[in-house]
Amino acid sequence: MKKKDLLLLAGLLLAAGLAALILMAGRRGEAGAVTVRVDGQVVGIWSLAEDREEDIDTEYGHNHLSIRQGAAYMTEADCPDGYCMQQKKITGIGETIVCLPHRLVAEGVAAEGQTADEDGIDAVTG
Amino acid sequence: MPVLLKIRQNFRLRTARGLFLCVLCAALMGALTAGASGPVHAMAEEEIILQSNADGSVTADLFAMDTYMSLKAYGKNAKEALRAGAEEIRRLDRLLSTGREDSEISVLNKDGAAVLSEDVFGLFGRALEIGEETGGIFNVTIYPVMKLWGFPEKDYRVPSEEELSAALALADPGSVETDQNTRRVQFLKEGMAADLGGIAKGYTGARVTEIFREHGVDSGLVSLGGNVQALGTKPGGKKWKVAIQDPEGGTDYLGVLEVADEAVITSGAYERYFEENGVRYHHIIDPADGYPADSGVVSSTIVSSDGTLADALSTSLYIMGTEKAEEFWRECGGTFDYVLEAEDGTLYVTEGIADRFESTRKRVTVRKDG
Repeated sequence: MKKKDLLLLAGLLLAAGLAALILMAGRRGEAGAVTVRVDGQVVGIWSLAEDREEDIDTEYGHNHLSIRQGAAYMTEADCPDGYCMQQKKITGIGETIVCLPHRLVAEGVAAEGQTADEDGIDAVTG
Repeated sequence: MPVLLKIRQNFRLRTARGLFLCVLCAALMGALTAGASGPVHAMAEEEIILQSNADGSVTADLFAMDTYMSLKAYGKNAKEALRAGAEEIRRLDRLLSTGREDSEISVLNKDGAAVLSEDVFGLFGRALEIGEETGGIFNVTIYPVMKLWGFPEKDYRVPSEEELSAALALADPGSVETDQNTRRVQFLKEGMAADLGGIAKGYTGARVTEIFREHGVDSGLVSLGGNVQALGTKPGGKKWKVAIQDPEGGTDYLGVLEVADEAVITSGAYERYFEENGVRYHHIIDPADGYPADSGVVSSTIVSSDGTLADALSTSLYIMGTEKAEEFWRECGGTFDYVLEAEDGTLYVTEGIADRFESTRKRVTVRKDG
């Protein structure tokens, strides 16, 4: 192999490394876990790293939270509107799913040990 | 009792000490009347749960005004500030909710006239003012039309033309008489009704951050069902990042705004609608014809240091459409900025926020000098 080829290879590797770093940086706001609160009281904190199915039954009613491939979302709810099942899947810190009739809030949070993210989203309007 | 009377007169004392005294008095009164049923008991039931977080913030969930609210405050007085903020939300909800029979607004709507408290009268006046500024597009008396469509009770139906024109005749802010001295509001037509829901959350958000500040908190974030009001910046001095929801759903946002000491309020048809015979009818009613607005805007976000204004204008600009909105924005001379999404997906962003709005979508910057 010529010296120039080696240089090119090194250059390409460097570029790829940089690109990977930039991509990683763009994913820093990713949630490591999801917490579920009912009436403001935490009823569960689950890692998003593993797939999982959770029933949440309270005095207000029944919800079922699914965690699949790093995203948390509501797959069952016996509330009248079922709106919580249409809400955007939680993948980022600060993202929420709200089941108003059941006073339930699921929120993407940093996992234990995951450094709090300075550049994540603080709130969503809409 | 003279001390108590004085405290009652100065109920809106701005200092933390004053508030503390008020709370103490309320607690004493509560203790004295313990055993008697009524509001004291109801308030105790609504005790909020505060959560202390690793980043030094304290947060609380709250369910009021028919929506989910989250409050966040930093600093050593954060807990007291959150409790006082939550109490203010409940107080305003009791005054303003059309869903409560005993609210001041419901009494006014039932009797056609009422003497209002300072807050409600002030907010009513503000609503009429913004109504004039927007050329009648923001209409505080649109409630009879909303009821016809069934939006308040979530009992939806499509009204007939005749019904609509009758209700539209009542949606006439020119037939509201207000008296600054007595704080009396009177409707001049039988059957008129008002709803401050179009500005209540914006006003409440502004009040809560004001209360945070009175408690010595200078960094906080309040979200009232997606109406966001920021107090100061994040503790490190960085601006708050507020994402705008994509009306289409999906996993992406329209974009992310950086804000400090501002409200960010979004309106869109997707928030509430119903379908009949395959046609979708949404809740942002154009007072010009009484039908859901069809201006070509699918999402309307206002950024302003005035939360009340931001709330009112988010629906107004949705109704106006991009061209009228642009004209209106120029006339208003810097009191607010906006992000509008048109049907084709293009974002229209005013220049005041253009450099702190990040988005991968197709966008056009709206400038003062065209």
